[in-house]
Amino acid sequence: MKILWKRLSSALLVLLAASFVTFTLARVIPSDPALAYIGPKATEADSAQLRITLGLDQPIPVQYFKYIGQTLQGNWGYSLSSKQPVLQEIADRLPSTLELIFFAMGFALIFGVAMGVYAAKYRGRLQDSVIRLLSIAGVSMPAFWLGLLLQMLFAGRLTWFPATGQFDIELKYDNPITKITGFPIFDSIITGNFAATMNGLHHMILPALTLSAYSFGLISRMARANLLEVMSQDYIKVARAYGLSERLIFFKLALRNALPPILTITGLSTAYLITGTFFVEQVYNWPGIGSFAVNSLISIDYPAIMGITLLAAIGYLVINFIVDLIHAKLDPRVWMR
Amino acid sequence: MSIKTAFSSKRVRLIAVTSSALLGIASLTVPTAAHAASVFKVATSAAVTTWDPIQSFSTEAFYMTNIYEPLLWKNPDGVSPEYTPALATSWSSSKDGKTWTFKLRAGATFHDGSPVNAAAVKASFEASKKIGGAGFIWDPLKTIDATSDDTVVISLSYAAPMDLIASSTYGAYIVNPKTLTAVATNSNYYESGKDGGSGPYTISSYKAGSSVVLTEYAKHWATEKPAYPTIDISIVSDGITAQQMMTSGQVDWATNIPLTSMTSFKRNNKYSVIKYKSPFNYLGYFNTLRAPLNNPVVRQALSMALNYREIAAVGGQGYATQARGPVPVGIYPYDPAIPQYKMARAKAKLMLSSAGVKNLTIKITYASENSAEARFVPLIKDAFEAIGVTAEVQGILFNQQWAAAKKDPANAQDLFIVKYWPTYSDAGVDNLWSLFHSSTKPFFNLSYWKNAAYDKLVDDAVELSGSDKAAAQKLYSQAMLMLYKEAPGLYLYDEAQVSVIPKKFSIPKYNINYPFSAFFAGVKLAQ
Repeated sequence: MKILWKRLSSALLVLLAASFVTFTLARVIPSDPALAYIGPKATEADSAQLRITLGLDQPIPVQYFKYIGQTLQGNWGYSLSSKQPVLQEIADRLPSTLELIFFAMGFALIFGVAMGVYAAKYRGRLQDSVIRLLSIAGVSMPAFWLGLLLQMLFAGRLTWFPATGQFDIELKYDNPITKITGFPIFDSIITGNFAATMNGLHHMILPALTLSAYSFGLISRMARANLLEVMSQDYIKVARAYGLSERLIFFKLALRNALPPILTITGLSTAYLITGTFFVEQVYNWPGIGSFAVNSLISIDYPAIMGITLLAAIGYLVINFIVDLIHAKLDPRVWMR
Repeated sequence: MSIKTAFSSKRVRLIAVTSSALLGIASLTVPTAAHAASVFKVATSAAVTTWDPIQSFSTEAFYMTNIYEPLLWKNPDGVSPEYTPALATSWSSSKDGKTWTFKLRAGATFHDGSPVNAAAVKASFEASKKIGGAGFIWDPLKTIDATSDDTVVISLSYAAPMDLIASSTYGAYIVNPKTLTAVATNSNYYESGKDGGSGPYTISSYKAGSSVVLTEYAKHWATEKPAYPTIDISIVSDGITAQQMMTSGQVDWATNIPLTSMTSFKRNNKYSVIKYKSPFNYLGYFNTLRAPLNNPVVRQALSMALNYREIAAVGGQGYATQARGPVPVGIYPYDPAIPQYKMARAKAKLMLSSAGVKNLTIKITYASENSAEARFVPLIKDAFEAIGVTAEVQGILFNQQWAAAKKDPANAQDLFIVKYWPTYSDAGVDNLWSLFHSSTKPFFNLSYWKNAAYDKLVDDAVELSGSDKAAAQKLYSQAMLMLYKEAPGLYLYDEAQVSVIPKKFSIPKYNINYPFSAFFAGVKLAQ
């Protein structure tokens, strides 16, 4: 329990530090919020009035404490671009991003572990080299470049997949999704709108593959290395000497012990995917947090940038906390360190 | 041997088969419904800064001209008559150009069914003058009287072309008075996508930064109804993505195709690539507050360093021509007789030397989000270095670039690159006045240039343009000649508008007077 509190309090400190740094940076960048609010030909009088309205005429520490107070009460401010509450903007877009991350992580885990296992099996052979090449490519290729490449090949040339968007535009006229939870594919499933489900999955493939590339590379390399290491441990040799079956040794002994590092890397790369969506959503015109973040950065939309930073920081902390819990479940020594 | 045995298990195969199946199922899925024939699908980069038609001063004009109407629409140059009646059916002016009478269209209604009348016109113009983003266009407005339900009489403090002003793309829409009252009590009234217009379409849904859906207003006064009662617009900031959406059939039309893609579209027989004159003009402001740029000879020398043909070719990708000052070709008071600087680097070096300039370093800023500027600014740097002037280039977001330029002019950039266009089709009132007329605090005069003779020429021309356009043109030409000689700016190029039109559709021609707009009521299937 003590360790739990320790983790929570350090998480709170990280959140405060992240919010303070972002807040200060956003305020010291020379820019005019009136431009984002009114447009590129905003007059000086408009600009001055807006600064007073938004409280930008007050000292930065005063602005910061006001911001923290309001944020804790659920008021994350209003987006300068859309004039809508930032929290509402985030809530509207978050489900689409989470669905994308879910599928991307699914791809990365399934293919990553499978390829890692396969590479370990064929260690030193052609299959191992091909998988190594794919893994390195996944880790090193920038998401925006890979996205464009996949888009041009599979959407532009082969026309196997749609180039952009979460659903075909026609869908909202012919098979509109009833909003239940806000998660579009999930809602389409629970409302029995399978035309929308299939259409959504069809649109999901390219962005999810693009987003999963980095995590896939990490997971497959980690899975291969860990399995090879564990399989060479003394206790595995002992198990074999006792005549245990290879299947039992692998799944009960080796894979379980190889899992914690894979889990850690999975957690970290899930957190990485939050920022990875910035590029992927932009390329695929995905209506999620990533494209909202990019548009907010381009228009120096302070409240939106702050909201997204806070959300990303919370996302990182929550994911790492969950990873810690699972890690501890798999290996109780973690809490004792 | 043992490790291989373990990995050869059925479970390994199961993982592989499951993974393949997942991908396979999704990849075999076909798109659902057939194309809904009544929906015209568009991809555009046009963001919505505000839905308030009075405040509107940005790219939301793309939508606004379908939702709201002015009294008149201005036709492109060369099209007769000069104006198409919108909410006014006839109009006239007094001989001195100070009194204008507009007769309103009978039967026109706002989207809530209330009538478009003289009171609505008066309320709209007064609101626009008082609080509008483009309120300055109503500067000459003295009084506006609703003499009857269908007649307004506008009195001006000086002669001005009220037909032109009343057809402006910003600040001239007629807005439902009920909406004006509502927005006075709730400043965010419009922002969820409400409207108070009378145009052929109304907003049926809006997702900020993502999509806009327009639906036909069934009671619109026009006899010819739109072929597409629903317009579904995806807001796509990236041009390549928009291009992919159009070529893959996800949308019917994309308006923001990058110039770099035009060559491939020209080879594609499904599309027409059409070039129009546009009001967009690229220029640079020299910081005339700082030595040695306060010396016109130095500015002239720097102007002679540039290879304008190359800059236009690289920036405009073959769809641009060297500018003749800050007034774009095709927009009043453009004058083809205004001279242009030509590349003469040997002479430029001599001029710098005679001005005593040594070891000059120039800081250039440009808007990093503008891909054309990112392409051609390195050429300016190279040109300056060819005459011995060092250039430091800084690409930053436009609002940062502009904020820095206004904050501390004496210590700001030396050369500010900008893309500019007039608010309505009078680049005398806008470009010549806004960009180079003296001002106490810099707003768009970012060369910080002050010249009393220039100011008088432009001021006089502005006042004359309502009653004697030809006389005003002469004064404007003198002012432009002064800009050439004094060189407070680098006049780079006029950009053409290049539209990629799918041959399957008939889409109204680009109108230089409404540079951000598309008129969806005229879209139909090609014959």
